[in-house]
Amino acid sequence: MACSLPPEILDLIVDHLRDKPSALKKCCILSKSWVPRTRRYLFARIRFHYARRSIESWKLAFPDPSTTLAHHARTLSFREQNPSALADPGVGCWIRALHRVEYLRVNTLGRSHGVSFVQFHGFSPTLRSLTLTHTSIPLQEIFNLICSFPLLEDLGLITVSPKRDADGWCIPSTSPKLTGYLKVNGGLRSVVRRLCDLPSGLHFSKIRVSHDNEEPTSATDLVSRCSDTLKSLIVSHYASGGFIPASVIS
Amino acid sequence: MPSIDLSKAAELTHVVFRCGRSTQWVTATVKTAKSENLQQITVSSFAVGLAQIEGAVYREWEDLDRLLVQLWTSRSIRPRVRYKRGKGEDDRDLASKLLPELTKRGVVDMVECD
Repeated sequence: MACSLPPEILDLIVDHLRDKPSALKKCCILSKSWVPRTRRYLFARIRFHYARRSIESWKLAFPDPSTTLAHHARTLSFREQNPSALADPGVGCWIRALHRVEYLRVNTLGRSHGVSFVQFHGFSPTLRSLTLTHTSIPLQEIFNLICSFPLLEDLGLITVSPKRDADGWCIPSTSPKLTGYLKVNGGLRSVVRRLCDLPSGLHFSKIRVSHDNEEPTSATDLVSRCSDTLKSLIVSHYASGGFIPASVIS
Repeated sequence: MPSIDLSKAAELTHVVFRCGRSTQWVTATVKTAKSENLQQITVSSFAVGLAQIEGAVYREWEDLDRLLVQLWTSRSIRPRVRYKRGKGEDDRDLASKLLPELTKRGVVDMVECD
């Protein structure tokens, strides 16, 4: 029955099920002709939680990076208690296969030892959104990663407690235009200081920041820098009579 | 409590303030907003038991109430308040206690947050 349907109708059915992975998996085993269509969505979001283990599984399933289904991936997410897994020499090889990713989320669960994003630099020229969560790696490392994506629009630095840059701060020579959404929770002063140094300036249209009593000037600086583009602002204040739970912020 | 200067944000249309009980910094920040495009100001309080506030904190809400009324009448900027309801608290009581003038005029949207 599946073969008798015109391809446009099949596409329509699969498109309709794009957010239902279990239904897509069933479609996949229904007919061979459905497989390529469903893979487009099944591999659109790739999550490596407990990254070391899942990266190994990925490499086992797709030993040749050039023939994987990675080109379908649009959202890539890492969550790792031992973030040094992301710095393994083998990562660079297969991460390049994910060259059409638009959204990247990395959560290092507060660990910073051995973290390096060098192999991630510019891996996807189409990356539009980057979110780093629970990380305490040096800001230079974070900003080098940011500046390696020329089309980056949205930036999220959540519960970032940046380590002091051991070798000083070196301003990147180029930077993305950053026209979308900025979300900063934690380390606002340090983050804003670095953001203001970026050569292409700041053009965010939506900003969401959490600040404490010592950081209003940082928030003001940020607003001033985006004065021509800023349309929406969400401000949380830590000390205005209560503690803001992380769940509320996120 | 220090405020944020919004005077340069000429294109600003929506502002959301997430605060506890104290709203002094919100009032001070809103006063700096000069954007002619500003359409909505949301005050989102995560504090519980707002109906019991009194003293200096209550006066802060009064100041905010006055300012939001002024912005509504002069620039048609719609205020919106998100709050956490305490046990036995009624929406209308809470609104009339915190923002009496806005409530009287029926221009504030009160929304309960989860």
